Amino acid sequence: MQSNAALEYDYSVAKLFTYATILFGILGMSVGVLIAAQLAFPELNYLFGEYGTFSRLRPVHTNTVIFGFMISGIWATYYYLSQRVLKVSMAESKFLMFIGKLHFWLYFVGALAAVVSLLLGISASKEYAEFEWPIDIVIVLVWVLWGISMFGLIGIRREKSLYISMWYFIATFLGVAMLYLFNNMEVPTYFVSGGIGSIMNSVSMYSGTNDALVQWWYGHNAVAFVFTVPIIAMNYYFLPKESGQAIYSYKLSLLSFWGLMFVYLWAGSHHLIYSTVPDWMQTMGSIFSVILILPSWGSAINMLLTMKGEWNQLTENPIIKLLVLGSTFYMLSTIEGPIQSIKSVNAIAHFTDWIPGHVHDGVLGWVGFMTFAGLLHMAPRMFKREIHSKKLIELQFWLQTTGIVLYFTAMWIAGITQGMMWRAVDEYGNLMYSFIDTVAALHPYWVIRTLAGVLYLSGVFIFAYNMIKTMTSSKELAQEPKNQSPMAA
Amino acid sequence: MINLVEVQGYARIIMTIVLVIILYGYILHLYRSEKKGERDYEKYGKIALDDDITSTPVEKNPNLHQKKEGEK
Amino acid sequence: MFHWLEKNPFFFAVGVFLVIAFAGVIEILPSFAEASRPVVGLKPYTVLELAGKNIYKNENCITCHSQLIRPFKSETDRYGQVSLSGEYAYDRPFLWGSRRIGPDLHRVGNYRSTDWHENHMMDPKSVVPQSIMPAYPYMFTKMADIDTAYAEALTVKKVFATPYDAPNGTKLGTLEESRAAALEEAKVIAADMKNKEVKDAVARGEIPQIVALIAYLNRLK
Repeated sequence: MQSNAALEYDYSVAKLFTYATILFGILGMSVGVLIAAQLAFPELNYLFGEYGTFSRLRPVHTNTVIFGFMISGIWATYYYLSQRVLKVSMAESKFLMFIGKLHFWLYFVGALAAVVSLLLGISASKEYAEFEWPIDIVIVLVWVLWGISMFGLIGIRREKSLYISMWYFIATFLGVAMLYLFNNMEVPTYFVSGGIGSIMNSVSMYSGTNDALVQWWYGHNAVAFVFTVPIIAMNYYFLPKESGQAIYSYKLSLLSFWGLMFVYLWAGSHHLIYSTVPDWMQTMGSIFSVILILPSWGSAINMLLTMKGEWNQLTENPIIKLLVLGSTFYMLSTIEGPIQSIKSVNAIAHFTDWIPGHVHDGVLGWVGFMTFAGLLHMAPRMFKREIHSKKLIELQFWLQTTGIVLYFTAMWIAGITQGMMWRAVDEYGNLMYSFIDTVAALHPYWVIRTLAGVLYLSGVFIFAYNMIKTMTSSKELAQEPKNQSPMAA
Repeated sequence: MINLVEVQGYARIIMTIVLVIILYGYILHLYRSEKKGERDYEKYGKIALDDDITSTPVEKNPNLHQKKEGEK
Repeated sequence: MFHWLEKNPFFFAVGVFLVIAFAGVIEILPSFAEASRPVVGLKPYTVLELAGKNIYKNENCITCHSQLIRPFKSETDRYGQVSLSGEYAYDRPFLWGSRRIGPDLHRVGNYRSTDWHENHMMDPKSVVPQSIMPAYPYMFTKMADIDTAYAEALTVKKVFATPYDAPNGTKLGTLEESRAAALEEAKVIAADMKNKEVKDAVARGEIPQIVALIAYLNRLK
């Protein structure tokens, strides 16, 4: 159709983000394993002087994984698949190409600065929003660049209808923008006081309980828009493409999109009880929220049903394995979440290890697996070489799956144990355990959790090795593979 | 001030119901228009499968100008 | 209408945004108006306390310690009276935390003393043998940032009308005045401490981080 016969998709930005994903993945998860080990073996706090304590490193872990590994994973896959579903190459617009590269470099420099600032002990102490105001400004700029890049590409698309993955990317863009901006409203003290003290310090626009409200509105929904929405976008592209099966029901995917949008910020509520509203209305509210949840669960079912009649691929293709098991973990953690928000369960679970446990079966299983699968699928197409080794993917898969199962079982038991110990009373109604008893009781689970982390991390290293080998020394491909990604045994 | 919480309660319940109606209205819309033969939603699934730069789009973008590059 | 949205990215985006933004408005705004009033008798932090709070903030103490006592008997028995919303009115940011790897600290000032904190921060195991908390010896040698704390107090006074220099409130004054006031407070705390370096520093007119942090922890009641 287009006169230019040599026109090809341009993956240069996608490649850059792929490298960043691998780098931040290794960095963030290594720190994760270290801080897990610090809980079991506190001596490890003193490896790097003041820069190595649990309190400094924990935000480094969360932020490197969320804003390093995950966000670059999202952008790597975005820059890859957006061109393909819109059927337009970035090479067709010099402007977009420039924006794309600027987007990457500004992001990369910002991310490094962010890590350094946390290590130096500069923190706003709002979880997942620890960065102080100068870094927040860089993040906003990076986000705007992504917006320009995305809507620019949509503007010159050949395919009129937006594929479902693009819907999810647009929602990610808008959702995170709104949440991040409102939660990070800060007043730099240096300027208001007329140049006194540290330039990095700022105070939150909101105080006390209000700040908590905004923070957890952000905290909960940022999980939605970073860890759920864009991952679904990936899955809706990579699973059909890798398996050669169209989405089981495209209609269901549209519905579950709106279902998710409505539910996540709306009915996924923890406050269904309004004292002054009549009882029957409250009941009705609850019933309708349940009805609202149904379509949003459609996503996971839709993904699994896409494999209908082709389940043999699950044994033959390790990438499909990652994708399908990822979807299964998604179902697991989306059922676990609502259970934890039931009042009586929350009374035990809150402040315990069950909460990080829940987060991790989502992120390790669903988010991690999807990202690895996506990058593995992209590699032969971006680098025009077959994947270095199928065996290594299999090994990675089994190591990490074992790791995840160990991780969440250890954390479930640890969480419930500690929650029960905190409230245990003797026959006279006195507390049975001192606080430190409940900490000492967790030691074995923390050891298991560290081990689980080591298993998962070694999977990441294998993945990185496999990717690097694929990029540099694997057999070259004459033409782009249609569906299943070619891989050497 | 107490009233605000009450307003919140009602607003929330009403909004939830409205969203349910919109969502299920959308379900009806999707399946009806496909049954009547007005639209075929499932064809969009092919956007992912057939995604070479040379393949024919499922629906062509009519706004697309024919000049090749250099535009903003 | 639905089909039209699918093909018009701009209006589609507007639609998505309205759905997600509206939820936030209804969920957050009404509670907002209510929750921000301070409880009776609550005074803003002194500059020294604020400097300590900033250490607490910058070192991410919230990763292990909560400051929120929930309305259960097991919690009030262990930590003291239930936390009230108005007690946090001058906390920017809030420091509730989300995971109790260590105990809650919202009323730690009621049952821990200056010398307990001194020993504990230098070597937690010397006080609680099974403790897994890291030691923070560098807080005994690094100096607290009083100027930044003053800047912060001045900022909240100007921008959010926090009652500094108000009748019965906390006195702020000029930078020099508040430096002097912070030092006076620090001297009182240092008098209860054993560490020679800290005592010397305060005598010289400098305030180590540990002193500011203890001032903040003692204030948590």
